[in-house]
Amino acid sequence: MTTSDPTTVTPSSLEELRDAVLDRPGPIRVAGAGTAHDWAGTPAPAGTVLSTTGLSGIVTHNPGDMTAEVWAGTPFAQLQARLGEHHQRIAADPAREADGATLGGLFATADSGPRSLQYGSLRDVVIGATIVLADGTVARSGGHVIKNVAGYDLTKLLHGAHGTLGVLAALVLRLHPTPQVTATVAVPCDRAAMTDLARRVADSPVEAAAVAWHDGRLLALVEGSERGAEARARRLVETLGDEAGLLAPDDATAAWEAHDAAVRARPDDRAVLRFGVIPGSLSGVLDGLDTDTGGLTEVTASPRTGIATVALPADADVVAAAHRRVADAHGTSTLRQRPPGADLPAFGPAPASAALLRQVAASVDPDQRFGRGRLAPWLPLPSTTVGATA
Amino acid sequence: MATPTTATGPTTGPLAADFAAVLPDTCVITDEVGLRSYECDGLTGFRQVPAVVVLPRDAEEVAACVRVCARHGVPFVARGAGTGLSGGALPVADGVVISLQKLRRILEIDVENRRAVLEPGVFNLDITRAASPHGLYYAPDPSSQQVCTIGGNVAENSGGAHCLKYGFTTNHVLEMEVVLADGSLVTLGGPTGDQAGPDLRGLFIGSEGTLGICTKVTVRLLQTPESVRTLLADFPSIEAAGDVVGDIVEAAIIPAAVEMMDSLAMEAAEAATGAGLTVDAPAALIVELDGPADEVDAEFEHLTAICERHGATRLHVPTEAEERARVWKGRKAAFAAVGRISPDYIVQDGVVPRTRLAEVLTRIAEMGRDAGLRVANVFHAGDGNLHPLVLYSEAAGEHDAAEELSTQIAELCVELGGSLSGEHGIGTDKACSMPRMFSPDDLDVMHRVRLGFDPDSRCNPGKLFPTPRLCGERPGPYRPHPLEEAGVIERL
Ligand SMILES: Cc1cc2nc3c(=O)[nH]c(=O)nc-3n(C[C@H](O)[C@H](O)[C@H](O)COP(=O)(O)OP(=O)(O)OC[C@H]3O[C@@H](n4cnc5c(N)ncnc54)[C@H](O)[C@@H]3O)c2cc1C
Repeated sequence: MTTSDPTTVTPSSLEELRDAVLDRPGPIRVAGAGTAHDWAGTPAPAGTVLSTTGLSGIVTHNPGDMTAEVWAGTPFAQLQARLGEHHQRIAADPAREADGATLGGLFATADSGPRSLQYGSLRDVVIGATIVLADGTVARSGGHVIKNVAGYDLTKLLHGAHGTLGVLAALVLRLHPTPQVTATVAVPCDRAAMTDLARRVADSPVEAAAVAWHDGRLLALVEGSERGAEARARRLVETLGDEAGLLAPDDATAAWEAHDAAVRARPDDRAVLRFGVIPGSLSGVLDGLDTDTGGLTEVTASPRTGIATVALPADADVVAAAHRRVADAHGTSTLRQRPPGADLPAFGPAPASAALLRQVAASVDPDQRFGRGRLAPWLPLPSTTVGATA
Repeated sequence: MATPTTATGPTTGPLAADFAAVLPDTCVITDEVGLRSYECDGLTGFRQVPAVVVLPRDAEEVAACVRVCARHGVPFVARGAGTGLSGGALPVADGVVISLQKLRRILEIDVENRRAVLEPGVFNLDITRAASPHGLYYAPDPSSQQVCTIGGNVAENSGGAHCLKYGFTTNHVLEMEVVLADGSLVTLGGPTGDQAGPDLRGLFIGSEGTLGICTKVTVRLLQTPESVRTLLADFPSIEAAGDVVGDIVEAAIIPAAVEMMDSLAMEAAEAATGAGLTVDAPAALIVELDGPADEVDAEFEHLTAICERHGATRLHVPTEAEERARVWKGRKAAFAAVGRISPDYIVQDGVVPRTRLAEVLTRIAEMGRDAGLRVANVFHAGDGNLHPLVLYSEAAGEHDAAEELSTQIAELCVELGGSLSGEHGIGTDKACSMPRMFSPDDLDVMHRVRLGFDPDSRCNPGKLFPTPRLCGERPGPYRPHPLEEAGVIERL
């Protein structure tokens, strides 16, 4: 392996993207805004960094159809602001948007925020994509309509692919109306109490869009019309008892910002793990991890989806044990921060489907040009050395 | 149409013997009469008798059957209830049909975590039946929900009238167990929407049985909404009804369902069900709102005002659940009811961007006139999913003209920026139209992914992808997407 710095290319059209893939030899590391550069597996050295940041902006926005096609390198926050002018939005709220993360980057890292309780994650609102494969093939899947079952839903293959398999050039999204009003109800509680309280939120008919625990309180978000949302939030306060209260708008904004800041925190010399388990097991797994690791920090948890983000010591054995604990609870986990130089396992034990993943990868990117190392060890580095591939 | 094979074809004997080693005799069908009942799915125009039908009873037996197929190098087709409308479960000549009808246990209704674990042969409606005592339900509701299986739903990514708000099968499946073409068992997805690595679960859903056989599914259950309000409104024109849908979107209301029917469809549905539809109204909308009562009441007021503004000639608000069910029955029975006004008909399924509904309906009417055939329209207006019903008479020799018109309608949808199918799938029926929507490269990449799952293409071959054998040597040409023509998007 050479020690020279990789060359960064920043195509600004689909054609330039394809040409870059064809012209540059060997392995390519795909990068968006770089906000998740140390997530998942350690990237193997690559001669080329392909930046998607030149592929930015809205290709088409059809407000009447509530769809938009967007270049993958578009900063998510910027995109939301533009759509907001039409009282529309992408119903997803990954914390990294505040760091400038791109749409493609968020999709490729399968990131999601608390609203995934109601809306699912980005994969649930992406209805089509244009992708470029390692041999320069440009392919589209899905389309511009919300309802569409023609052909394979290829786009899904790149959700969570962390820059392997193919490069996302553009995505087509289903949009939702921006709610007129959002209201947040907060209840102070420790982690032991969050599960039952969250269950009460879920059992009430108000249909909260998000329920998240952070820093000693449970937050429940209600979104809707001017008349409806506030009435619902008040009902929720009644349901949750004396300690619950409706937050003033500024306090609500601050509470969610603090939550998001914890999710995207980069505590020094710590590893960050994101995991999901069946909601009923979440509290127990968190307690177990707390004991195993000598104390979790930056804990955020969504007790109704079963998803949590936690910081723990950046020690390979500790991280491996944490992955195992999640796997023992039939959950999945991904490393989200790896301090420079640390060699930490990205994932838990390989599932049986890892063999399938390898076969699919061999079929679409046989030389593993894209994102080498990001899905290791599930997708191990090719045995041939870098640069030896055609 | 494919040539029928006989049950005593060259492969049947040794194959059947190997199946008999892994299944009881009663679960292996080789007699002509038995095989015949599997010769087609809901698209009855295509028929093919398979070499063998097997009825495994659990995932292990499914895997064992698939391994027998692998050993013999024969193709197999998974089959749920056979209600598919695109020939997806059509047997392959000299191939095996693996029926999932004996895997029909509801393994778990997990109330606390709001999910159900199901074998693939469970009927869609039975999930909601099992969940409803707990105040929960399974959202995707295809009109065929009483008789179609969750495995078939996964394969087709089925939707229903309520998917405008709640999404399709893919938005509700968390985890699946799948038998791959080599007989191995894998789990795709996980207990939450968050997964580690590429979303193979999402790729499998909607792959029409070409990537493997699903043997277990975990789906999300939702809380039964506190309030449901339904409105049936008549309009002086299709355009007026279409404008109402536009205004609903503008008002930031996401109805649970918005269905539109034209007068011909209403005439048929009313004759069959007496649901209370106005037979001579040019168009009617059924709009359903659901959710927390506070929200639904506010939205309902708004909705009524929008309908009035666009000249609704009648607003009917069924108040009792029973009355509401009657309105829905009128809508859901519309397909079958068309049999009352025409000896034969073809159900089409295509999608256009919602804003082009009026345009597509005008074009369909013109095309119908040119072909000398009537077309009734029943559709999911909220998401632009059309179900034109082409009426014809087999006896009068109109079959080929009707087929041609129906295909033209699906391809028109693509031309208008939409899709060949919103819910019935490509299967055998539309494989030859795929090049209208996808370029050779698009299809090639799909095919490469398929080879990753099934290197020998033994899993439901001949479906979804256009093949020279099926389509003749020259499948319809790929034509650029209208947005490409307009210079809005580019394709290399
Ligand atoms: C009157 C009527 C109304 C309908 N309404 C709707 C509607 O509103 N919305 C809608 O989406 N569809 C609708 N359909 C179509 C059909 O019901 C759906 O496509 C349904 O999902 C098919 O389920 P099935 O069990 O009958 O599958 P089948 O027809 O048996 O199979 C369909 C496809 O799935 C594959 N398959 C089946 N089981 C499995 C499995 N376990 N693993 C892998 N592959 C499998 C088969 O190989 C085949 O390709 C309707 C059909 C009818 C007849």
